Amino acid sequence: MVRTTVVGNYPRVGDTFEEQSLRRAIARFDKGEIGADDLQGAEQEVVKAVLREQNDAGIDVVTDGQISWYDSQSHIARGLASVEINGLARYFDTNTYYRQPVVQGPVAWKEPILADEWKFARANSKAAVKAVLTGPLTLASLALDKHYHNKKRLTLDLANALGEEASALVRAGAAHIQVDEPILTRHPEELPLAVEGLERIRGRKGSAALTLFSYFGEVSKIYEELVEGPADVIGLDLVQGAATWPAIAKHGAKKPLVLGLVDARNTKKEDPAEVAKKVLDLKDRIDLKKSFLAPSNGLEFLPRARAREKLRILSTAARKVGVAA
Amino acid sequence: MTALLTTSVGSFPKPDYLLRARTKASKGDLSQEGLRALEEKATAEWIQFQEQIGIDIPVDGEQYRGDMATYFAENIDGTEISGLVRSYGNRYYKKPVIVDELRRKGPISVDWFKFAQARTERPVKGMITGPYTMMDWSFDEFYGSREEACLAFAKLLHQEALSLEAAGAKIVQVDEPALSTRFDELPLLVKAVGTVTKGLRAKTILHTCYGNYNEIFEFFNKLPVDQLDLEMSNSGLDLLERFKREPLKKEIAFGVVDVHSHVIEPESLIRERIEKALTIFEPGKLYIDPDCGLKTRSVEEAQAKLRNMVAATQAVRKAHRLT
Repeated sequence: MVRTTVVGNYPRVGDTFEEQSLRRAIARFDKGEIGADDLQGAEQEVVKAVLREQNDAGIDVVTDGQISWYDSQSHIARGLASVEINGLARYFDTNTYYRQPVVQGPVAWKEPILADEWKFARANSKAAVKAVLTGPLTLASLALDKHYHNKKRLTLDLANALGEEASALVRAGAAHIQVDEPILTRHPEELPLAVEGLERIRGRKGSAALTLFSYFGEVSKIYEELVEGPADVIGLDLVQGAATWPAIAKHGAKKPLVLGLVDARNTKKEDPAEVAKKVLDLKDRIDLKKSFLAPSNGLEFLPRARAREKLRILSTAARKVGVAA
Repeated sequence: MTALLTTSVGSFPKPDYLLRARTKASKGDLSQEGLRALEEKATAEWIQFQEQIGIDIPVDGEQYRGDMATYFAENIDGTEISGLVRSYGNRYYKKPVIVDELRRKGPISVDWFKFAQARTERPVKGMITGPYTMMDWSFDEFYGSREEACLAFAKLLHQEALSLEAAGAKIVQVDEPALSTRFDELPLLVKAVGTVTKGLRAKTILHTCYGNYNEIFEFFNKLPVDQLDLEMSNSGLDLLERFKREPLKKEIAFGVVDVHSHVIEPESLIRERIEKALTIFEPGKLYIDPDCGLKTRSVEEAQAKLRNMVAATQAVRKAHRLT
């Protein structure tokens, strides 16, 4: 009745020796004891394990867990022309850090950044694999702009580059593309610019379904414009962004939603029956059959074992929605 | 007048023998007593080093702590420790999990304060991981409210502050690296830190780092402490102009060396930074220290940075005829 998906990243290490293989491989790579191929091999083993965990839990649309991403910003930014990667900066209100992209000249797409990673994941997953792009507005907002000194121009050039990337992903076979714009929870007034950027990506995504996801907070003030925007699917953090809930209940949505109802930032386990009840509260407001149940954001902020349990909570809750409906 | 007193933020790197011992202890190959003896050895060495180079206000160096939040949580009832989560790159840490009502089992850091203070005549800082940071860096399976969890930490950390004072601490520092996480929660942070420092006779300090200071600037004078300890060199000293326009009504500990860089700042560069600070702050209210804890540097790097910091401070004192 409702499908399940994840938002993007997934814990790359766990608490057992086997689950820390990538940590050891990166340490050995840093010391020069293994080469880039060995490191990639270690990453791919973890990608396979992460896909297996999502497949075993019965998640309908999965990701590769962004296992090879250093962080949410620099992984894509470092593949673009005129972008250098700088020191650490704090990532939103999480106690984690990203390497800050520094824009030194006109930003442009050079070659596919994510396509090979996506193809590898697709070949190793029983379920559909979603490709995730960091949104142009969020990238522009968290980068250090030493060239444009104009956020709009930087955002739109990034959007053009990400459009090329979306096109490369579609050529590789991706049918689901998600654009993450968490910055909208901090700066909802910048929605028009996010929409303008998204339109450029939309123009290059062919028949793939385009999801716009905002997390780390609420978007109640821009909810109506958000669901009318160029994305095919709208993803919402409904834990930290619980204040968006009344807007959905009031206005509903003609488009499918991704309901981020399972807390991806706290270890406390939800009761699947309660999650299911919340989803069912929306059955007259949105098309549940086309919508998804998801964690509130990427699961990487949780220990691996708890992330696995959250996946099970998702699929159990989704089954309960199906039975009740 | 005492002027430009030198100090440190809190942590120092652990010597190799202690790192090896911690690995052995985590595998059960070394007893807790055996580990403790080496932690004491390392602490005594750091106190001796600080005395030797002439640091005015030493710290114990936190040789006994892994992570600053988990160390406190391990000594508080109502908490568990999570599995590994990623901080950035290939660095991972374990987080506290609040699973029940928070209660203080007994003194947390007081024994280490006493151990360090017994080895020097100079005033050693008492060090507390602040209530807001404890809350923000913990998973919460019990309270369900950030404010409730934060104030529960504040209440028991106030007891810890009183115990440090009773043990002889003349200075108590509250570490709040999470201070600038959520601007809308700054009033909660002020309330929680005020709960910790309430009624203390000791000088109180709030340390923070990695923040967007411009956004939180107006809160600086509202923080219920006597001194602010700020990372200044990593943020390019760009805050100085703002302090010129809007004076700080408290003492300031001014970070003059970057703790995230392997580069050893030369004495001349540190002197320049102190001279710049002196154009804004009164020398009696200006303390000189590194940006943050030095634990991520090697022992040699940390010692070289501290040596240059003290030498630069002494040179500036001499140039300005400050005692």
